[in-house]
Amino acid sequence: MSAKPKIAFFDFTSCEGCQLTVIDALQTHLGLLDLVEIVQFREAMSEKGQNYQIAFVEGSCTRKSDEARLLAIREQASAVVALGACAHLGGVNSMKNRWPIENVQTYVYGQNGKDAYESYPARPISAVIKVDAVIPGCPIDRHEFLRVVQMMLQGRTPRLPDYPLCVECKLRENACLNTLGILCLGPITRAGCEAICPSYGDGCEGCRGWHPEANFDYMREILRGHGLSDHEIDARFTMFNHYQMEQMSGHAPLSEAVAPVTDTSLPTSSFAAPKED
Amino acid sequence: MSLYILSKEKLPAFVEALQAGFRVVGPVRTPTGFAFEEITQADQLQLDYTTTILPPKKYFLPQRETLFKYHTGSNPEGAQSVDVEPVFQDVQPTVIFGMHTCDMSGIMLYDKVFSEGFRDEHYMTRRDKMVIIGIECLHPCDDASFCKDMGTLTAPPIYDLHMTEVDDDYLIDTGSEKGERLLLNYSEAKMATTDHMQRLGRVLSAKWPRFRMRLKMSKDQTPSLLTLGYNAHIWEELGERCLACGSCTNVCPTCFCFDVQDELDINMQDGERVRVWDSCQLHEFALVAGGHNFRESKASRVRHRLMRKGKYIKQVHGLSGCTGCGRCERACLVDITIPGTLNALHDEMKVESGV
Repeated sequence: MSAKPKIAFFDFTSCEGCQLTVIDALQTHLGLLDLVEIVQFREAMSEKGQNYQIAFVEGSCTRKSDEARLLAIREQASAVVALGACAHLGGVNSMKNRWPIENVQTYVYGQNGKDAYESYPARPISAVIKVDAVIPGCPIDRHEFLRVVQMMLQGRTPRLPDYPLCVECKLRENACLNTLGILCLGPITRAGCEAICPSYGDGCEGCRGWHPEANFDYMREILRGHGLSDHEIDARFTMFNHYQMEQMSGHAPLSEAVAPVTDTSLPTSSFAAPKED
Repeated sequence: MSLYILSKEKLPAFVEALQAGFRVVGPVRTPTGFAFEEITQADQLQLDYTTTILPPKKYFLPQRETLFKYHTGSNPEGAQSVDVEPVFQDVQPTVIFGMHTCDMSGIMLYDKVFSEGFRDEHYMTRRDKMVIIGIECLHPCDDASFCKDMGTLTAPPIYDLHMTEVDDDYLIDTGSEKGERLLLNYSEAKMATTDHMQRLGRVLSAKWPRFRMRLKMSKDQTPSLLTLGYNAHIWEELGERCLACGSCTNVCPTCFCFDVQDELDINMQDGERVRVWDSCQLHEFALVAGGHNFRESKASRVRHRLMRKGKYIKQVHGLSGCTGCGRCERACLVDITIPGTLNALHDEMKVESGV
């Protein structure tokens, strides 16, 4: 292989946990650094090289001002990879889309919030720029990250599993959480994480997005069987995937209009809203 | 062949003796049920288990199996080269304890599938090292079982040893010389007497009424029923319900389909070719180059599974593709069951049951 391809990492609205997973992967798979040269990675180094071929973008687009930065990255990079649920789906950030943005700004930042802090409904980066590959998950799976990098270096199109999590869960011989009274969205969620949460007894929350044949009607039936109200089921469906549900509204109807909710107050929270100045 | 008797209290010593020369596998208790796992202590073995999520097929055809390793590079003339290093995974002397008769029927089918026509060396090499010790089922696992309908309530002729619990003893039938040698060399089993045989006969006759029939037709009728019902309405209904999760095939003791993939090492030069379990219930399964999918709809995939279980496998290999173990029914979150489907088809087709 001749000159190593240059790659860069960028973050938007996110917890940066996916980039931490990349740093972790660099420690367990040192060979990765023989394949690529990292020129920009705020989380791990101070250099800010602007000459890169592959851009890995973590985080969702939640501000008008994010758009120009995304477009600049797209302009420079030959390939853009959405890194993790926020960039891929909008992720948990898109839960706020259920309320008018002014209410969210006031709730989070206090009375001056809407003037002091810019915000708008959260979207995946694919809503703003063309995305060439996706590494799903909250956070990403390091092995999938490595596979996607390898495939891109080979000039292949990285592909994601297009079947539900149940496949991987069964291969590990996990008892089905849904039959044990633990809510699990595995039947509608895209596989690829080796069913890590269900393997430790936690139901899947859908962080990898839905698989193409997700059967929402019967998933809803299963969740009703757990005693969930339609409102609670909608909350489950929109935890990571509010933006998707909104986009799919005809095919994956929620029991109520997705956004905005009619009651414009925010749900009561155990976290106190900041005191106003 | 020959019938031996081993008292229950002598079983742990048999297991421990075997551990010196074999990997010993059997049903063990898990937090939620039972699973086939390697036995490290003799008292883990739970021969009175009901069922497991995965059948013991995972020891015959692992979920993920390396077929070979490859090393790419270039020779001194600069031409690309590939060296292939064969791998035979999990080939080790193994005793599998406590296989139910339905699961042994599954392995009987596997043996045909992987040896007839194309001989699968990976399967066969592993299989040669396996010793199967069956256990006679005296009670149904649960309501999902329909082994009696499928004729798998009797041990098929693939066991090396087959045990039946008779009061405080196991009466052990030898199915192969290998099994008999094992029993004589590693246990304190003794030849059974006429009295033992009579006791065994009583236990075996008493078990049959405990198992119910669930099909409205004889298993011999399922191929013609499925032929008639190819365009039945029920497939659409089932397709609508199906989650396309593949759980039914993954837990099936007769499903053997696999996908083959190359996994590249981080150095981008070496790698391995692996096979992993695949499922005809997944969208990608019948997708071919150019984008055509032979079974695009879930309805066509559900139908395909039933066709395989009740007709095609029988046509190709002479054995039923379903053992009546009930695992697919237990695994399905939307209540798609083989007896329910065949019975509904039977009603829709109004076929005379003949039973």
